[in-house]
Amino acid sequence: MAELSFNKDHGYLEGLVRGMKAGILTDTDYHNLAQCDTLDDMKLHLQSTDYGKMLSSSEEDLTVSLVDSKLRENLVTEFSCLRSNALPPLSTFLDYITYSYMIDNVVMLITGALKQRDVAEVLPRCHPLGAFDQMAAVGIARTPTELYSAILVDTPLAPFFQEAVSDTNLDEMEAEILRSKLFKAYLESFHSFCKSLGGATRDTMCPVLEFEADRRAFIITVNSFGTDLSGADRSVLYPSCGKLYPEGLQLLARAEDHEQVKAVADCYSGYKIIFDDPEPESGCKTLEDRFFEQEVKLNTLAFLQQFHFGVFYSYIKLKEQESRNIVWIAECVTQRQKSKIHNYIPIFK
Amino acid sequence: MVVLELEESSLLLDEKLLRFMDQLELLEEKRAALNSLIEQGWFSMSKARYSMGNKRVSALQYASEIEPLVCVHARTLDNGEVDFCIERSKQKARDEAGKEARSIEDIGPQEEGVRRRNKPKNNVPEKKEGEEASSEKAPEVTPIRKSDQNLQQDPLKWFGILVPQTLKQAQSSFTQVIELSAEIATLQTAILNSRQELKQCRKDKPILQEVSATRLEKLTD
Repeated sequence: MAELSFNKDHGYLEGLVRGMKAGILTDTDYHNLAQCDTLDDMKLHLQSTDYGKMLSSSEEDLTVSLVDSKLRENLVTEFSCLRSNALPPLSTFLDYITYSYMIDNVVMLITGALKQRDVAEVLPRCHPLGAFDQMAAVGIARTPTELYSAILVDTPLAPFFQEAVSDTNLDEMEAEILRSKLFKAYLESFHSFCKSLGGATRDTMCPVLEFEADRRAFIITVNSFGTDLSGADRSVLYPSCGKLYPEGLQLLARAEDHEQVKAVADCYSGYKIIFDDPEPESGCKTLEDRFFEQEVKLNTLAFLQQFHFGVFYSYIKLKEQESRNIVWIAECVTQRQKSKIHNYIPIFK
Repeated sequence: MVVLELEESSLLLDEKLLRFMDQLELLEEKRAALNSLIEQGWFSMSKARYSMGNKRVSALQYASEIEPLVCVHARTLDNGEVDFCIERSKQKARDEAGKEARSIEDIGPQEEGVRRRNKPKNNVPEKKEGEEASSEKAPEVTPIRKSDQNLQQDPLKWFGILVPQTLKQAQSSFTQVIELSAEIATLQTAILNSRQELKQCRKDKPILQEVSATRLEKLTD
């Protein structure tokens, strides 16, 4: 009976996150932002939203990259506020959210080291939500086994290295494979954690995570065409906690072109619409755009129920989409490509 | 005779003018295409940033030392025009790059490397000692050099192996821009040349006209 006991430990934070959700930009806000001609105009408009003086306080030149960094800082502040007040099992749940950023940071540090970039240069660009103590040492490792045994064994990412350890030297291909393997283990672990929590958390989170798993499988397949990653190589990268497991994943591993991937998607009603041919008026939306749209739809559903942890995950993901939207509008404004400015994804109508 | 010369010179002038105009029109078209391709390329990169994340498509992703994949060769032709042509260097196979690295002697400690020394044979006659000593001084080095292999790499791989379609589109736009730039540079020198020739012809024309006028006068007298 979650309704009876949830508020004791987590009621304040759920209230907080619902309050923050009310500040998510609306259609009017996006409409105003799209009318801007310069980044300064956008800064002015953002001041009247929950973002407030976020951009005004900075003395650096206003660039799209700065806007992105400030939006990210804002999200990190909100998340830290939630995490610092969280009790188990919410604290574990929130930690799970940070692991995906940790994985991205690890790969960014490895690729930075491959390009002989100074650690001091790469560290500030890492996502703050995925910070961990041993970050500075990651670039030294030469193989995934070394990375695990010397550096990451004491971090929360250690359990995800089960299938990722190998003695091949870390180059671009290995870094990509490492990213996918770690993410697969992470997603499957997160999925079983949410299942174990049960109740409304399981009902809202499991479909979202299953969608994420299937999305990764599709994107890995489509992006691997024309690269050195073969079907057999990529089949070990597909997370198995989605709807595509096991038959869909087997078919995807054998797919050689976009048409075959589309054929696999056609067997699943949720994914058929994503791969369908676009209407001529909607402009050319990429596959990733359509997946983002679907993700937004699934995440907004979390707020229809109470007394569960899904709202926290969904809030973070929706805020990320909002950041992407604002940065997209900023890019269109600076590059004077106003015709494509409406390709952002509105969140709450 | 002079009348004929004048007529020929006029026709030549017309021809040169028309050629000049055609070249200008072609230049305008190519410049418009270049601008549009550059805009497209940058916009595709923004779309890639949207899917991948802003910090994953940035200056951090490439090394500070890179070798160019494309070179521009300029050669001056007989008529004074300069022809710019693009040459793509073929990407070396990894083994080849490794062998070349071995031929370069590197003095000093190496960060990553496995040194394999020639083991001296135990039962060596005295007269061969000198040879052994010299071969010991030059150990065979088989470094695991990642940096050399990466110097000539498809720039798409800087951002990862599984990159979205939009980044590939950006790359193809910029590749076309490179080719177009060389054509535009060649065309620009050709236009400057044409303009010079045109000026020269226009200078010569009044002189010819004067000469033909005086000769006509003499004939009629």
